[in-house]
Amino acid sequence: MLVTIRFLTEPFTPGYMQRAFAIALILSALAGVVGVVVQLRQLSFMTDALTHTVFPGVAIAFVAGQSLFIGALVAGTASAVLLTIAARSTRIDHDAFMALVLASLFSIGVIVVSRNRTYSADLTALLFGRVLAVNSREILETAIVAVVVLGILALMYKELLLRSFDEVGAEAMGYSLLRIDLVVNILVALVVVAAVRAVGTALVVALLITPAATARLVCVRLGRLVVASVLVAAIAAWLGLVISYDTSVHHGVRLAAGATIVVVLTAIFAAVATLTAVRSRRVRRRTLAEVTS
Amino acid sequence: MRHLLDLYDSGVMRRALIEAVLVGSLCGAVGAHVVLRRLPFFTITVAHATFPGIVLASIVGLSELAGGLAFASLLVVAIYLTMGDRSLDTNTAVGVALAGSFGLGVMLQSAQNGFTKDLAAILVGSVLTVDRRDLLTTTAVGLVVLGSLAATHKELVLRAFDPEGAAAQGYPRMLDLGLLLCVGATVVTSVPAVGTILSVALLSVPALTARLVTRRVSTAMVAGAAYGAASGVLGLTASAQWDLAAGASIALASAWLFFVTFAVVSATGRVSRRHVPRDAAPA
Repeated sequence: MLVTIRFLTEPFTPGYMQRAFAIALILSALAGVVGVVVQLRQLSFMTDALTHTVFPGVAIAFVAGQSLFIGALVAGTASAVLLTIAARSTRIDHDAFMALVLASLFSIGVIVVSRNRTYSADLTALLFGRVLAVNSREILETAIVAVVVLGILALMYKELLLRSFDEVGAEAMGYSLLRIDLVVNILVALVVVAAVRAVGTALVVALLITPAATARLVCVRLGRLVVASVLVAAIAAWLGLVISYDTSVHHGVRLAAGATIVVVLTAIFAAVATLTAVRSRRVRRRTLAEVTS
Repeated sequence: MRHLLDLYDSGVMRRALIEAVLVGSLCGAVGAHVVLRRLPFFTITVAHATFPGIVLASIVGLSELAGGLAFASLLVVAIYLTMGDRSLDTNTAVGVALAGSFGLGVMLQSAQNGFTKDLAAILVGSVLTVDRRDLLTTTAVGLVVLGSLAATHKELVLRAFDPEGAAAQGYPRMLDLGLLLCVGATVVTSVPAVGTILSVALLSVPALTARLVTRRVSTAMVAGAAYGAASGVLGLTASAQWDLAAGASIALASAWLFFVTFAVVSATGRVSRRHVPRDAAPA
């Protein structure tokens, strides 16, 4: 028992691990909540697109020697607006049009980074982040983004719910659907921006989709969904960091911390999905037996 | 013009050109179904799913293509199975699969020590390093995929426009699995040329452009192939001329072709005049 507890707490003695844990927890809370909105509004594809379209901003800021955060912020907001418009296009198929926008913007990012001679190392850092190298200022920035995003979500809670479940009603009551969609997509973009340094643009999509999907397997009510989603994300972040640290320090196998968190997250989802599938089948069989007997 | 032809003097560049044209036309043709069935997000996921397969294959010492193909097929079947489960929105399942397989790939890659160089090649492609065997594989996979799509063309179009009608006539749902596997195989072959992240560009943008000029699915496949091949040639030439990343240039070329076609079509008003009512037979 004691060994298990030490296994789970010992990794957090070095300062960099504490900082990594802090930022992972903030991101879990943020992405867990926003992930429920992503699922409610069926924005999985939009989220993935945003993680790619933030990339050119990060790349340009990187090459120009500016703050990655500012670069990501500008690109994230601009592409959220662009993608919202693309998603509403009626003349052209919007899924394919979103693919066009995301591929073009991502390509611009790749070209910008590839102008640097030694670009592959930078590319991987930008795509996958360096959760072990965050400093306290970055934690503060992430916390501020989290407070702003969660605050705005709380303020527009009622409108968001109405728009999700009764689109016609919302429009009839005079709410602008475009404006609500725009705000939600910008909020998702902000989460991507906040997560860029810790988990990179490529892995944040896991934080935004998987915890909420796991929660959806076990509950339906919005309040419970949010709690479950944040819990799943936080547990995965903790376990992921522990496993990554333990294998690297004690077993000589270096596992990238951000990626390990994602794999743990997916494993939790797969386990819960299997369990619920088995249980619902058993329930179905039992009710069938009761009906026929 | 002379100068541009000189770019293709070397064997490396000529092979790259052939690969770009092969992959471009294959993706453009298959893309007609991707756009029709709203599969761009699925395509992105399959592309990411090849990544852990490629890493695993290189650890075990197998062919990267086989590894990518095996893992991608596994995922395609898993997604196909969740499509029947109504408690899970398909796009969410696709998203979970995307993130998870990508995370797995990165984790496996980081466990090896060569973390950086190969990773970038897988992500954004390296068309300049394709060899004769890659060209042969692309051709072989292309023939199989296009052959299967041609053989089931009528059924696939029926399934796309009238799923209930297709079911009522007794066509099995397995047809969808076949289509998804065809898209998956196409993605896997396009990864060496344009990389995992950008293969979605070739699989949806040329086909989207083709839809601007025609509504017939069969014509759209041919037009998509032409647009895809043109994207390959234009992108590769631009990349050699201005020293840009090749995969990204090909993706941007396809987007450029879309906007040019869109401008021409809007200016001449061809789309509105040729517009066929949605319920007209589209085959």
